[in-house]
Amino acid sequence: MAIIPGYSELTAPYWEHARAGRLVVQHCAGCDRSWHPPLPACPGCQSADTGWREVSGDGTVYSYTVVTHPTHFEFADRVPYVVAIVELAEGPRLVTGITGCAPREVRVGMPVRAYFRPVTDDITLPYFEPR
Amino acid sequence: MIRRRVAVTGIGQTEFAKALPGTAWQLALEAVNAALADAGLEPADVDGMCRFAPPFEQVSEPMLVRALGIRELAFFAEAPLGGEALGAVIAHASAAIACGLASVVVCYRAISQSRGGRFGRADRGGPSATGPDDATPDLVVPEDDNRSFAWPYGLMSPGQLFALWATRYMAVHGLTDEDLAQALGTVAITQRGYANRNPAAMMRDRKLDWESYRAARMIATPLRLFDLCLENDGACAVVLTSAEVAASLRADPVYVLSATQSLSPYREPMGIYTDDLIELFPPAAADRLFGQAGVSRGDVDVAELYDATSFMTLKSLESYGFVPDGRGWRYLTETGIGPDSPLPVNTHGGHLSEGYLHGMNGLTEAVRQLRGTACNQVAGAEMALVGAPSGSAMILAR
Repeated sequence: MAIIPGYSELTAPYWEHARAGRLVVQHCAGCDRSWHPPLPACPGCQSADTGWREVSGDGTVYSYTVVTHPTHFEFADRVPYVVAIVELAEGPRLVTGITGCAPREVRVGMPVRAYFRPVTDDITLPYFEPR
Repeated sequence: MIRRRVAVTGIGQTEFAKALPGTAWQLALEAVNAALADAGLEPADVDGMCRFAPPFEQVSEPMLVRALGIRELAFFAEAPLGGEALGAVIAHASAAIACGLASVVVCYRAISQSRGGRFGRADRGGPSATGPDDATPDLVVPEDDNRSFAWPYGLMSPGQLFALWATRYMAVHGLTDEDLAQALGTVAITQRGYANRNPAAMMRDRKLDWESYRAARMIATPLRLFDLCLENDGACAVVLTSAEVAASLRADPVYVLSATQSLSPYREPMGIYTDDLIELFPPAAADRLFGQAGVSRGDVDVAELYDATSFMTLKSLESYGFVPDGRGWRYLTETGIGPDSPLPVNTHGGHLSEGYLHGMNGLTEAVRQLRGTACNQVAGAEMALVGAPSGSAMILAR
């Protein structure tokens, strides 16, 4: 099994872009603001004229934890794993995982870059690794 | 303002244990009846109720009205967001009493984690409660409260979230692993010491020393086993009335000076996306809490702070303004929160060592402290702060 995000009308574009290898965040053309997770309107100007903007995939680790005790059987074979909040170069933060280095090597402020990991036929999760 | 117009007239609680024979419904009844008896009131006197909203609280007002034989509720309300409902239920109940919507209001919280819904096990009691199997279907996380952006990465429990907070705190304030271990270990060991002298505490017979604390396994770095709260069954209830009614019923009423709630963007359970991740309690809400009470930080004699993890005790000291921002860890290490410290904290053992009741057991403990009947009595305690995260708290005084 896998633990996968449910689609909603609001969030489906995020996951569809991810499946195509693009990391996107919502963006307001009116006030040039980006945010994540998705909202039905711009939190700055209340414009409903929001779209999706591809971001560079570059970011830095805002915080992280090395999970050594799984709280779901799905993760029992995966510990230790790193859960992180990554701050994108474009501003918004997202929850993700860090791979590509030993868990103990992850640091707050570490530069990372997105990559895409398919978990089912429909779902691809953006992960990050050191850059 | 609430200031002394409302009082906690009765408190009640069940035993706290890993698994109790009763259902949450039965536990709630036991706690409410105990609180009413403590107040010198009957179920028939109750005309108001305020509870933690579902999905957290499973026992509804109709279930209690039926089972207690209450004639009629004139006021009932629910506060959402888990532990953050703690200050809110007292604020709502107090407001209802102060403006005459009700005269005897019961607030309660009943938890039966042994029968499913463990906070620390996302696979027990949730949609995938059946366990692992080749045929186990994928778990599709619904898009509510942004969980679908977190669970697929294995961020599923409050303990993991607060690990993210603690890591961020270390980075912002320049702590080493050892600095944090000293601070958090002080919280865990001090609270365990209180619990060892509290017959109601689940950990009353289990000692905790530095060697055991350090040797405990990591759960999610930098948090070790003893940095995380207990999971258990149990219930707590309080009865609120007007100050006049309280004074007619008992010689030692405990007055509500202020009670607050607060909501700002992403400042909610699993609120991962706040501008400042580690701002546990908005400064404006803390100022409102003290301002409405008309007291200052130095007036508080004892604090019962919401400790889903030891880190929350640390950060709460800063967020309520007892210690300057970024100094909580050093304060803990140098001054501490023990019986002889300037501000004893979590004198019942807290969620870490007494039991986990979404802060309601901190409230019953604060009332005992102000009545002078606590196991770890703070001499001459006249004022207490009971705190939950995110702007939810209360100040009580005798």
